[in-house]
Amino acid sequence: MRHMRGGTLAAIAMAGVLALAGCGSDGGEGGDTGSGEGSGSEALKIGLAYDIGGRGDQSFNDSAARGLDKAKGEFGVEATELEATQGETDAQKEDRLRQLAEGGYNTVIAVGFAYAAPLGAVAADYPDVKFAIVDDFTEGTDTGPNIANLTFAEHEGSFLVGAAAALKSESGNVGFVGGVNTPLIQKFEAGYKAGVKAVKPDATVQVKYLTQPPDFGGFNDPAKGETAANGMLDAGADVVYAAAGGSGSGVFRAAKDKGAKGIGVDSDQYNQPALADVKDVIMTSMVKNVDTAVYDFIKSVSEGNFQAGQQVYDLESGGVEYSTSGGMIDDITPQLEEYKQQIISGEIEVPSTT
Amino acid sequence: MFAQGACDISTESQSAFAVELRGITKRFPGVVANSDVNVGVRGGTVHALVGENGAGKSTLMKILYGMQRPDEGTILINGEPVELHSPADAIDAGIGMVHQHFMLADNLTVLENVVLGNEPRAGLGLDFSAARSKIRDISARYGLGVDPDRLVDELGVGERQRVEILKVLYRGARILILDEPTAVLVPQEVDELFGNLRELKAEGLTLLFISHKLDEVLSVADDITVMRRGTTVRSVAPGEVTARQLAELMVGSALPVPELRDSTVTDTPVLEVAGLTVQAPDGRTVLAEMSFTIHAGEVLGVAGVEGNGQAELVEALMGIRTPASGRISLLGKDITKLSTRRRRSAGVGYIPEDRHRQGVLLESTLWENRILGHQTSRPSVRGPLLDRAGARADTERIVEEYDVRTPGIDVVAGALSGGNQQKLIVGREMSGRPVLLIASHPTRGVDVGAQAAIWEQIRKARAEHLAVLLISADLDELIGMSDSLSVILRGRLVAEYDPGAVTPEQLGSAMTGAAGEVS
Amino acid sequence: MGRLSPRAIYLGLAAPAGALVFALLVCALILSVTGHPPLEVAEAMVGSLERPRTAANSLNSATTYYLSAVAVAIGFKMRLFNIGVDGQYRLAAMLAAALAGTSFMDALPSFLRIAMTIAAAMLVGAVWAGIAGFLKVTRGVSEVISTIMLNAVATALVAFLLNPDRLAVTVAGSNNIGTPTISEGGRVPGFGYPGSSSDVFGLIVLAALVGVVYWFMLNRTRFGFDLKATGQSESAAVASGVNVKKMVLASMLLSGAAAGLVGMPQLLGASYSYALDFPAGIGFTGIAIALLGRNHPVGMAFAALLWGTLDQTSNVLDLSGVPKEIVIIMQGVIVLSVVIAYELMRRYRLRLEQRDVGRALGTAREEVHQ
Repeated sequence: MRHMRGGTLAAIAMAGVLALAGCGSDGGEGGDTGSGEGSGSEALKIGLAYDIGGRGDQSFNDSAARGLDKAKGEFGVEATELEATQGETDAQKEDRLRQLAEGGYNTVIAVGFAYAAPLGAVAADYPDVKFAIVDDFTEGTDTGPNIANLTFAEHEGSFLVGAAAALKSESGNVGFVGGVNTPLIQKFEAGYKAGVKAVKPDATVQVKYLTQPPDFGGFNDPAKGETAANGMLDAGADVVYAAAGGSGSGVFRAAKDKGAKGIGVDSDQYNQPALADVKDVIMTSMVKNVDTAVYDFIKSVSEGNFQAGQQVYDLESGGVEYSTSGGMIDDITPQLEEYKQQIISGEIEVPSTT
Repeated sequence: MFAQGACDISTESQSAFAVELRGITKRFPGVVANSDVNVGVRGGTVHALVGENGAGKSTLMKILYGMQRPDEGTILINGEPVELHSPADAIDAGIGMVHQHFMLADNLTVLENVVLGNEPRAGLGLDFSAARSKIRDISARYGLGVDPDRLVDELGVGERQRVEILKVLYRGARILILDEPTAVLVPQEVDELFGNLRELKAEGLTLLFISHKLDEVLSVADDITVMRRGTTVRSVAPGEVTARQLAELMVGSALPVPELRDSTVTDTPVLEVAGLTVQAPDGRTVLAEMSFTIHAGEVLGVAGVEGNGQAELVEALMGIRTPASGRISLLGKDITKLSTRRRRSAGVGYIPEDRHRQGVLLESTLWENRILGHQTSRPSVRGPLLDRAGARADTERIVEEYDVRTPGIDVVAGALSGGNQQKLIVGREMSGRPVLLIASHPTRGVDVGAQAAIWEQIRKARAEHLAVLLISADLDELIGMSDSLSVILRGRLVAEYDPGAVTPEQLGSAMTGAAGEVS
Repeated sequence: MGRLSPRAIYLGLAAPAGALVFALLVCALILSVTGHPPLEVAEAMVGSLERPRTAANSLNSATTYYLSAVAVAIGFKMRLFNIGVDGQYRLAAMLAAALAGTSFMDALPSFLRIAMTIAAAMLVGAVWAGIAGFLKVTRGVSEVISTIMLNAVATALVAFLLNPDRLAVTVAGSNNIGTPTISEGGRVPGFGYPGSSSDVFGLIVLAALVGVVYWFMLNRTRFGFDLKATGQSESAAVASGVNVKKMVLASMLLSGAAAGLVGMPQLLGASYSYALDFPAGIGFTGIAIALLGRNHPVGMAFAALLWGTLDQTSNVLDLSGVPKEIVIIMQGVIVLSVVIAYELMRRYRLRLEQRDVGRALGTAREEVHQ
């Protein structure tokens, strides 16, 4: 479902993030059935369908929006954005995509796994339109010659921040605050736990999800985040990973009050203006570059390099990363880099489920 | 014999009237409107306005208190014509209203209640001390005995009423309207109230007293205006009339006399009650060890001041309230544990005291109301299904036989006047061919014709061996319609009388416990 | 309900029609203030309705909404506020989906599979609502509070069960999680809609049937009479022999059973599995539609159609640059104005009837005077 991304990013911070994430990389590898015939001559008309919340959700819809904005500025493309409503059915999602395709939008991006089945159905009917879906690659449902599946190795990035947490923890007790209990966020949890255990096999990891689906409020409820983090800190944790979108600010607030450390998510939260007063506790962030993925996809279509199939944004391609702003983990970067190389080389295989 | 009309009084002296209503007409759908109402109230007197329910008293008072505008006519206060658009206007004109239902907040003190909506400001804050001394002042001057700092919650009914009066006086009223002030009071409290009213009168205030209790009116009023069917028919002085004459003026004809012809009492017991005890939710005993028997063809009348256990007795008999102990049998069968529905199916008819609460569905049509209480019996129900045709046909019959005034059976019950609703209820309960009828105030609020019809129906059913428990506040009705008569006091049947020999006065004193235990 | 005189029909329609016109004017005002020509927006919405797909989807939404509204209305008739329809249908759909997706069901005939699935959903819904009914009857807990709480409990329970270790399965690469997909024989085929790639739910027939049963129960049975009587005046119902506690429990059970059906058209006609993206919140939509349709079986059908159509045509607004929140505003304004219009109409009607009675009395009075 939703990714997380907390706070708003200023354009300058944006650039920093992109640089860090290595956005020069041209969008992953592993295209399987790609038949990227050139469509560069044709003017791009982009339709972007958000999940619930849409632009302005301070979370991952916003991240996708930033990618779109960047592409718009760079390639001068025309774009229309639509968003989902609470409680709608697949039929409504399908209708949304279909209206875009019918309306002459030749590049359609769907944000969120909920679009998987609707996108698969529509894409089959419009072979000339290029589709992309963020966060889903289900063979047989949303795969096809005109579909790019933009997925992320959140568990890999989470492994590294988990390792950082264990290295920095004095009590051997760390926390994980998940926004909403979905398989996607469980992926963050799995990687994080593996990272912690890799450093300190006997460390304790406290886990708490703020809400259960279909209540997605856990991605935007700082008060809940603060309560959950306080509970963990009281129970002995001294580092807490906030994989909870906008709720993260509450987690950092709690960490600051109790002299502990926090770990951000999705973007380099140390640099987020909205979090300026708690940034000194954000020792690192697990950066997930949805914006990069969206931008890369648009770029590939505009340049006639469309690749169908799964594009994995992982540690190797820079699609996920840990941030170092604030210099709080400078002392352990060598160890983290070592783990990173081991993951990239396949020496360490990070589990994606708990 | 009392030829003095209201208009005649008004010719005596214009300026002597504190309040004068001239030719007031109010067209008002559904209920009896006011047409050409003329009343003159002399300053510094108690003026009673009497009439049957629905005669237009309340409408007239609402007009005088600015809650409704008259279509025609003028209102003069101390000889000056006034236009009253709202109660605020009326208060400005020195008119105050003491409502029948108190409008007090329980969790506030007397002081707070009195100043509510009229707070004495001192800068930004409230100046309670000035208000407190003003209340003490008024209370002392009129002998109201009200302590401004007590919680209203702690006050009895009589004291609350005095707070209401004080509230009105506090706002500077010189003319007080009291809407059925004795309806909620027990006899001792009535005496106290009348004492207060005399004090107020002595201080030069003018009191307009609405009632249909004629004895009270005759004892306290200086002038009486009688209303009937929306208009004023006579003004009389209390010395000129008897209660019965006043009653005949109210209804406009000779009163029907409640009486039974020959005794139809058999020796078949229908309802046997033994040791029935009922407790209120707070554990208070409201009905103590009550035992009695009603035979087929017998009417047992129960007299008593309201609130002495009548409602609890009726509800226990109907299965609405669970008794703490005791046994109730119907035709020899123990029904103590039966549900209300089973009791009704077994042939218990029920005319409730409060028809809006228990008797009708105001938002449902007349024919749907015919089904109410008879959901298990023909002609309105067949098995688990409703028989709409049957219910409708039987409703037509009731409307016809009981003279329910309605344009049809598809109007909602709430559109009917209270008396017509009552006729529908009586008709419905009688058509269930009950073996036992529990009737609380069966003729309350109905017109004279209907009253006679209801009595006749009870007589007829009694001749066909119906057993009746009759509870009424109308002592003449009780004496006339009962085969045997008991008095209920504080949850016990304290005395039995022979209806052929007892007088209303004797009953009255037994009801207040003054007569001792007579047998 | 009385006999349908022309006046009754006219008055019955005047309130919703007037309210609709008023709501449209308010929305037009909001649109023009925000710089979107109202006529163009209306044209776009009506135009999108001409697409067969939108029309078919509107019918489908209406089907689900209608079932939800009936569930709410059963409570409303008793003055019971079943806010828990949402939790009831989600839990019911989830468990019914898990049952329907099990492999042993494959061996059974299609009709039996569908019947079992639907019966299971009704049972789960009834039990879940029944808890609130039971608490109200035995402990006097307000059903408003308990059903809200039960919604939260249902959410947690569904989340707990929707786990690969329990009732759910995952598909590689997908971030969704749901119950096993129901195989062909357990599905309810839809009706083709000419020109539309999406079918009309086969269970639209079930919704219609539920409406008929609801109408029959309310107007033709003793049970329905007791239900309405209790809703109008509890004290009068008690005096007439209604066992109010039993009625509370019965109507909560019925309301819950109807709630259990809410998820069925979507589950058996489109999703074939209960997953994270199964539509949520329909229970609350049902409250609005029951209000709008005045708990009347036909009224609610129109209200559900209106609501579904507005929902489905809202997509096109986004495309034409109008924030589709305007549709939500429109729905809100419609409900508010309709509720107010009904109340005004109710008073007006009572006054009309009183005048009729007054007229009857008036003639009677003249007879007396003669």
